[in-house]
Amino acid sequence: MDKSIKIKTENLFFSYHNNLVLKNVSVEFREHYISAIIGPSGIGKSTFLMTLNRLWESISGAAMKGKIKIQFDGEFQDIYDQSYSLTNLRRSVGMVFQTPNPLPMSIYRNVAFPLKLAGHKKKDYIDHMVEEALKRAYLWGEVKDRLHNDAFTLSGGQQQRLCIARSLILEPEILLFDEPTSSLDAESGMGIEELLVSLKEQCTLLVVSHYGDQVKRIADTVVELSDGHLIPVNE
Amino acid sequence: MNRSLEIAIAVCSWLCGIVLLGTVCTIIGYIAFNGLGTLKMQLLFGDINPLDALLLRKQVFDGLFPAIVGTLLLVILSVGIAIPIGMASGVYMAEYANDRVKKVFSLLFDILASVPSIVIGLFGFTLAVFLHKHFSENIYPSLFISSISLAFLVLPYIIRTTQIALENLPPKTRLAALALGATKLQNIIYVLIPKSLSGIISGVILAIGRCAEDTAVIMLTGVVASAGVPKSLLAQYEALPFYIYYISSQYRNTEELLSGYGASIILLVICTVLFFCAFMIQRGLTYRALYRA
Amino acid sequence: MPIKVLSRLNRMLERITEQLFLVCAVISAMITVLIFGFMVIFGLPLIKGGQFFHLLTQPWLPYHNLYGIYPMIAGTIFIASLGVVFAFPLSIGCASLISVIDGGVFSRVLRRVVQLMTGIPTVIYGFVGLFLLVPTVRELFLSGSGMCVLSASIMLAILIAPTMILFFVDSFESVPNSYMQAVDSLGGSKVQKLIYVVIPESWSGILTGLVLALGRALGDTLIALMIAGNAVQVPCSLLDSARTLTAHIALVIAADYESLEFKAIFACGIALYIFTTLLVVLVRSFRYNSRRGQV
Repeated sequence: MDKSIKIKTENLFFSYHNNLVLKNVSVEFREHYISAIIGPSGIGKSTFLMTLNRLWESISGAAMKGKIKIQFDGEFQDIYDQSYSLTNLRRSVGMVFQTPNPLPMSIYRNVAFPLKLAGHKKKDYIDHMVEEALKRAYLWGEVKDRLHNDAFTLSGGQQQRLCIARSLILEPEILLFDEPTSSLDAESGMGIEELLVSLKEQCTLLVVSHYGDQVKRIADTVVELSDGHLIPVNE
Repeated sequence: MNRSLEIAIAVCSWLCGIVLLGTVCTIIGYIAFNGLGTLKMQLLFGDINPLDALLLRKQVFDGLFPAIVGTLLLVILSVGIAIPIGMASGVYMAEYANDRVKKVFSLLFDILASVPSIVIGLFGFTLAVFLHKHFSENIYPSLFISSISLAFLVLPYIIRTTQIALENLPPKTRLAALALGATKLQNIIYVLIPKSLSGIISGVILAIGRCAEDTAVIMLTGVVASAGVPKSLLAQYEALPFYIYYISSQYRNTEELLSGYGASIILLVICTVLFFCAFMIQRGLTYRALYRA
Repeated sequence: MPIKVLSRLNRMLERITEQLFLVCAVISAMITVLIFGFMVIFGLPLIKGGQFFHLLTQPWLPYHNLYGIYPMIAGTIFIASLGVVFAFPLSIGCASLISVIDGGVFSRVLRRVVQLMTGIPTVIYGFVGLFLLVPTVRELFLSGSGMCVLSASIMLAILIAPTMILFFVDSFESVPNSYMQAVDSLGGSKVQKLIYVVIPESWSGILTGLVLALGRALGDTLIALMIAGNAVQVPCSLLDSARTLTAHIALVIAADYESLEFKAIFACGIALYIFTTLLVVLVRSFRYNSRRGQV
């Protein structure tokens, strides 16, 4: 059965210092799908991801035109609308970066950090949520005995899974992955891929990748970014 | 952290910024307001014809001209002494010193940089006494002693900026000339120093500013309230910052007090211009140095 | 000239120049030592007479032949510490605003203004303090002349704040960008970013800036000289007049050179030198203990 539309962009234009990177992009992404975004290096794939959680707004020289709507509870919400809170957006749309970026804290506090930002205080609740998130990220077994060690003592692959757990803890509906395995070795990369497929059930995933076989393995649909346009690719 | 605490913190930060900005504006505004009216030739030259004063035909007694000349001479002499010694020391630290020597010297230079200026002034005074007893009866606290003391004051700035400017050069720049057969010294003189020129010069300008504004050192080493344009290195002299200090406690009438404001404006403008130059040079010279030698 | 002779001359020139550079460095380093040395030599009669420690703890009563500099030590510590206490929150607030909380026009203007402030001569702060702040304090508290510890500390705080602010801004801005990005993508607000990541990560920078500012405050002469009142007493309240070691040196230098009174200022010099050296060593130990141990 075809899933319903989760994200749609309408006439999206994006430029860095007056260089157009995205030209009139109108595309739709389905719910609970893994949609892969491919294309040559430096063309703007990461930029496109950042339009979906408005992270580009802290970069100087960047400008955007057009609309992006995300479906929450059956209704489409214009995420650039003044009345829609940025904090809420980023809690519903999580992001995992190319290079893992744990915060300078223990493993536990890294994963619990979004809860702290959201104002949760009850220790039992936090303990429970941290464990759930680490389990979903396939990391719990490896770290349950050293939750209070510094996050930087983990290996690259583990750090990436930590970042994924951290993004999962607020139960976002959408997850954005910017080349999640390109800084990892092959084995860790495979682990992340399995994890991504398992997350499909609860989230909608957008994955930027430049590994063709990775895309073949995990993606449900593929779009290609070329010359500023996002074009669906038929397998 | 709840929302109201967050808002309180943000408000406090903004308040700090506003308070600081307000304070600066008050200080500068107060001086400008009171002193602008006095900025005439009379402030500088008193009753003497400006041309006569500039050509040193006549002495100015109630004008700022001798103080300005004094400050100028001080700056030229002290920076003139400090630059060669400071740059040479900086080059040594960056290019020749081994780790142990570097550690020791670096500690000593840091200490020198934080010695209070009045203590350096005291040192200058004792130096004058020492030289008076053991070298020549003619040596008293004077322009000569003050210049040396001020040189001590700003030496650490020049050493540090030279050292850091040289050390921050990218490895590629360091190796290019050496690979073509240049000696270490040739590399330093023809490549490294020109490339770090902007850093070095901003250090020099910092030193100039420091010499122009310092009061504590010169108070102990030869500055006086009234001496006219100094006739020799061993003479006493006047200086702008000391004039301001002296007037603040010894003014006899409103006119003299207002001249203090006028002097403050002049000193402020000098220091601001110097800061601005340093800033512009840092931006501009890096650009030019890449295209010249 | 044959090439061999030329190149030998060149090598000699190189070695001479290197020695020259070394000599300059040694001269510079020796000055640091000489300063302390001269203080000690000229203050020798005091130390010889075993009076040095008495000097540090006794009050200054010329009529009783007591030249203790204890009141001045108290004055210095009081005024300098208070100045830092006033300046620290102001500086952290401004630095937070400039680096994290506001990225717009106001913080850019503020940064430039703060940079400009570092060039304002101390004597001008003293001058304005004398004619603007002192009368205000006098009117506000209706006691004394207004020339007191409070006025001097406030002006001192304004003097040292700009350098502290720039130092803190530097520390804040060297927090790795990946942390900032992480907080942003998780929906953290600017204040949360500041409190949970930026300030904890900049702790050693903040401490260093604090100690450097204290050093600067201890060494200031003019503000204390012009605004603190210069009474030779241990200040017991904010509105008391006080004298610092630095102001004392400036005031007594005009006294009779051979007298004990005069020699006491070398004790001041030694005390100041030791204070600031200790602070330098403290700052270096911070840098050593934090990430990079390179000198």
